[in-house]
Amino acid sequence: MEILIVLLPLAIFMGAAFVCAFIWSVKRGQYDDLETPRYRMLLEDKNKKETK
Amino acid sequence: MYNCLHCDEPALSPLYESSDEACQKPFCCEGCLTVYQVIQGKGLGEYYSIKSDTAAFKRRAPAETSSSSFSYLNDQEFLKEFSWANDDKQIMEFYLEGIHCLACLWLIEKLPEFVPGIYSSKLDLERSVVTVSITQEGKFSSAALELSRLGYKPHPIRKNQTTNDLKKKEERSWLIRIGIAGAASGNIMLYAVSNYGGASGSYAELFNTISVVFAIPVFVYSAFPFYQNAWSAIRNRTLSIDIPISMSLIVGALMGIYNLMIGIHDNYFDSLSALVFLLLLSRYFLHKIQEKGLDATDLHYFYQSDSVLIQDLKCVDGYREIHPRFIKKDDVVKVRPLEIIPCDGDILEGSSHINNSLLTGESLPFKVNSGDKVFSGTQNLDQELLVKITKSTDESRLGQILKNVENGWSHRSEIIKLTNKISKYFTFTVMTLSVVLFFYLYNSHSLIESLEGAITLMIVTCPCALALAVPLTFTRSLSMASKAGIIIKSDEVIERLSKIRNIFIDKTGTITYGKIKVVRLEQTAQSCHRLFDVVCALEKRTRHPVGLALFEYARAYSQQDLVVTHLKEILGRGVSGQIGNSFYEIKFDGIFEDNKQIGKFEVADLIRTDSKNALKSLMLSDYHVHMLSGDRKEIAHSIASKVQLDGTYVHAELTPEAKSEMIRTADSAMMIGDGANDAIALSQASVGVAVMGAMDISLRAADVYLSTPGLKPVVQLMTLSRETMKVIRRNLILSLLYNSTSVVLAFCGLISPLAAAIIMPLSSLTVLISTLVGTKKLRKLWKY
Repeated sequence: MEILIVLLPLAIFMGAAFVCAFIWSVKRGQYDDLETPRYRMLLEDKNKKETK
Repeated sequence: MYNCLHCDEPALSPLYESSDEACQKPFCCEGCLTVYQVIQGKGLGEYYSIKSDTAAFKRRAPAETSSSSFSYLNDQEFLKEFSWANDDKQIMEFYLEGIHCLACLWLIEKLPEFVPGIYSSKLDLERSVVTVSITQEGKFSSAALELSRLGYKPHPIRKNQTTNDLKKKEERSWLIRIGIAGAASGNIMLYAVSNYGGASGSYAELFNTISVVFAIPVFVYSAFPFYQNAWSAIRNRTLSIDIPISMSLIVGALMGIYNLMIGIHDNYFDSLSALVFLLLLSRYFLHKIQEKGLDATDLHYFYQSDSVLIQDLKCVDGYREIHPRFIKKDDVVKVRPLEIIPCDGDILEGSSHINNSLLTGESLPFKVNSGDKVFSGTQNLDQELLVKITKSTDESRLGQILKNVENGWSHRSEIIKLTNKISKYFTFTVMTLSVVLFFYLYNSHSLIESLEGAITLMIVTCPCALALAVPLTFTRSLSMASKAGIIIKSDEVIERLSKIRNIFIDKTGTITYGKIKVVRLEQTAQSCHRLFDVVCALEKRTRHPVGLALFEYARAYSQQDLVVTHLKEILGRGVSGQIGNSFYEIKFDGIFEDNKQIGKFEVADLIRTDSKNALKSLMLSDYHVHMLSGDRKEIAHSIASKVQLDGTYVHAELTPEAKSEMIRTADSAMMIGDGANDAIALSQASVGVAVMGAMDISLRAADVYLSTPGLKPVVQLMTLSRETMKVIRRNLILSLLYNSTSVVLAFCGLISPLAAAIIMPLSSLTVLISTLVGTKKLRKLWKY
């Protein structure tokens, strides 16, 4: 059971890392429009030219 | 039967491109054909292959081409209010009419490739809003012009940076709250399971400490909105389900921390943080679906036309295009045919017909001459008018109605939501039971133990299932409604609907089509065999509603195109022209060939085909159905008798104010209407329903917007609200049942964190299943 001393901090660290990643993605606005990107993704293939 | 290549609407008498000899590519109208040519001309023909690959998900209307040059978009005054800067780019948002599928997305986001000066254009399909950013050399007018050439009608959206930013920020913080609650509750559960599994001694202590650390952000940050709502409810002396929830959360957190300090390993962090997560989630869904409805109706523009021509002698042709917002008193405005008059004013020059139907409900056009007054919101039909503006936007008739609408909203009686009503009894009962439990335990236990028992009761009776089930049920029914084309502004409306007894329906546009149609067109003389061809040829260029109706009717029977010379349209008289050797005239009383009558016709506002059945099924459901109209008594009664509506329930010749007075005095009334003349009534009614084609102003006043025509959606709406409330009541009983179980367990001394960890999710699961089953049944009822 002593292994918990390693595993617990590891688990907590990983959890915290994912929460931070989530907060970062929300703050960058990745969840603002959930509808359009899924269609835009489909178009990119036919449209080889990079549009910026 | 062909469908238009561009808009997929059935094309009754299809048009073909002149080069298209084989007639392979049918179009429904000139607009669609032009747009097709523009798109092909730019080498963007791929649009059509993308379109056919993907099923269109929004119905699309035939393309309308705009005559506006959009030069007003470049005015400094305008830019200040409508655009904003980001680095060296200017950004503006447009609401686009006519967005319907993936191909539109493709086309619009191609814009920077063929319009110089545009840096990017991003489309939000859900909202039909495109965000255009331009470089210093670019102009918004060229972007808008190009969009309108592609068949979309752009409406600039007034920048509302602060409210938009606030909304965005709030939405993001919701997501973060949910994310943190989810992650923390998941982790807490892991440690809780180890404890339930029998961890003891220093391990149990360690696990509990970690649980507390994880629980702190949940209870402090994620659950903050509950405390906020509860506090404001207490301060305003209203009721809210958040009060008992906050109570359980706070008591549970304090007890957990206290137990940790004195070394007891009991806490409720696992159940409570999972509860916070689920509650936040369900509320977020409800919020999202409501916002979707609001976006569709609460468009940020109020004018049907975005630009007006005002006289400005400094300009080359004497006129300048501006946005209606910037019209001032004493400006002289040129109103072209089919444009909406932007502000109240006097006619300086010209005479024309005015369509007043949106403002007054009268279905027939109205003749005006120079010197006459015209009102904002009415439509100019056939001739150019010069109008001197006498009142600013706020003072004009439409502005007054808008003000009344806002008043109506604020005067409306609030309903207390069912869940909030229950929360009062709930809190009271739980408090009393806790006190009773305390004394009951105190007989045989120590003070600390009995206190603990009482507190435990407060925690485990948290009305979680109830608070979870209600938003979920509403989310389900709101999304079902929106799929059927019924957009409901908020969950509260469904509760209001279930209390409706009287239904008031506006005649024009609701029971009837609200558009003049030809009922009969027949020839009276034998000599003429080409009546339909003649009518078609003469009325081809007309803008008069009767003429349009005649043209539409005759076109279906017309066999050949005739060439008309000397075509003349005389206001208030009709049209005349020379075809071959004969002189033809169409007047209100008939069709004449060389002054000899050869045909007669009859026009009327027809009754919608489903009106009679819908009204019947509403009456069968025990609603009192009334018909309101601004039209003449005879017309109103003749229509009422055709839909088998009792004469006593017909009210005609009503002004907008009289309509709203009727609604106000009626008991739990629902109003269904479309025009600006219904707007005040819509806002006064317990539930206001705006039907398809309604004006912006009535959309603002309404709680429900029906995007499919006719009255059938009303019947669906009533069923929906009844069934939804039924499901909610059932959930209520189920969750109260679970709460009573925990009370009984608490009295028997059997309640423990483990028992709570079983009962709480179980009860939530039960109501969830009940909700799903209930709404499934509703879906079956839907297809009546």
